[in-house]
Amino acid sequence: MKEYFKKLFLGICISYTAVSVTAAVSNAITGMENDNSNTLIMFAFCVIASIVLSLYSLFDNVSPLAMMIIQYIAACFFCGLLLFAISRIDPISPRGWFEYYRSFTIPYIIIAGVFYYILYKEVKEQNRLIHELQESK
Amino acid sequence: MKLNLFEDKNLNEEHVDLYFTNMRPVISQIIDTVNSERPTFSGRPADEDLDDWEETILDPGDIYYFDYVDRKLFAYTETGVFRLMNTLGSCEEMLWNYGFVRVSKSNLINIYKIKQLKPDINMKVYAFFDNGERICINRSYKKAFNEYLQKMRRINQ
Repeated sequence: MKEYFKKLFLGICISYTAVSVTAAVSNAITGMENDNSNTLIMFAFCVIASIVLSLYSLFDNVSPLAMMIIQYIAACFFCGLLLFAISRIDPISPRGWFEYYRSFTIPYIIIAGVFYYILYKEVKEQNRLIHELQESK
Repeated sequence: MKLNLFEDKNLNEEHVDLYFTNMRPVISQIIDTVNSERPTFSGRPADEDLDDWEETILDPGDIYYFDYVDRKLFAYTETGVFRLMNTLGSCEEMLWNYGFVRVSKSNLINIYKIKQLKPDINMKVYAFFDNGERICINRSYKKAFNEYLQKMRRINQ
C-alpha cells in the first residue's frame, strides 16, 4: 500500500509538472495568463487522472485496449463531475466543455499511441531474444 | 557444440569429459543427464478415453507449456495433453534453466517451443507455439518474462 501511494504521489508530481510547464509555454506563446482557479483545476485533473490510471492492476484480466477505454471514460466522468461542480459557482460556456474534452482526449490518444508503439517494440525485441536463445541452444 | 564419441571395449569405467566456456543452461542440462538428475515428469493422458492407467514419462524438452486448471496441472506436448501430480510452483523451480518461465497465474511456458510472440489488436501479447496453440502473457508477468529472457541471454553468452 505504501509503495502504491509512493508511486501515485510520483505520478501526480510528474503529470502536474508536465501540464503546468506546457501551460506556461503555451501562455508565453499566446500571451494568455492563467489565474489561480485554472492552476487548481489543472492540479485536480492531474490528481484524478493519476488515481484512475493507477488502478490499472484492477483490470489485469481485461485487454489493455479495453482498460485504456474504461480508464478514459472513468477519468472523463470524474473530471466532468468536478467541472460541473465548479460550474455551479462559476458558469462554464458550452465551448468550455468542448475545450475540456478536447484538451483531455488529445494527450490521452497520443499517450495511448506511444504505449502501443512501445508494446510493439518490446515484443519485437523479445522475439529477437527468443530466436537468439533458440539458435544458441 | 562439437561432440566426440570414443568407443573403447577395454575401458574400466565409462566417463564423460565436458569442456565449456561458461556454465550455460545447456551445459547444466548435460550434467543433469549424466548424473541422471534430468527432471522428468510422469503423467497420464488428460483425455479419459485415451487413459490406459499407464504413466507416460515426459521430458521437459517435449513440453510446450503447463496449464493449471481447476486445481489440476496439465502438460501440453506434441503428442497430447497429460495430467501431472506436481504443482506449478515446483515445476517452475525445477525447470527455470530448461527454458520454462511463468507468464500468468496458471501457465508456465517453454521459450524454446515459442514460434513467435505477437501483440493482439486489443494489445494483449500472445506466445504462439510450433503446434499452433497460443498462450497469453499476462501484464503482471510481463516484467518478469522480460527479465527472464535477459537473464537467459546473459548466462548463454
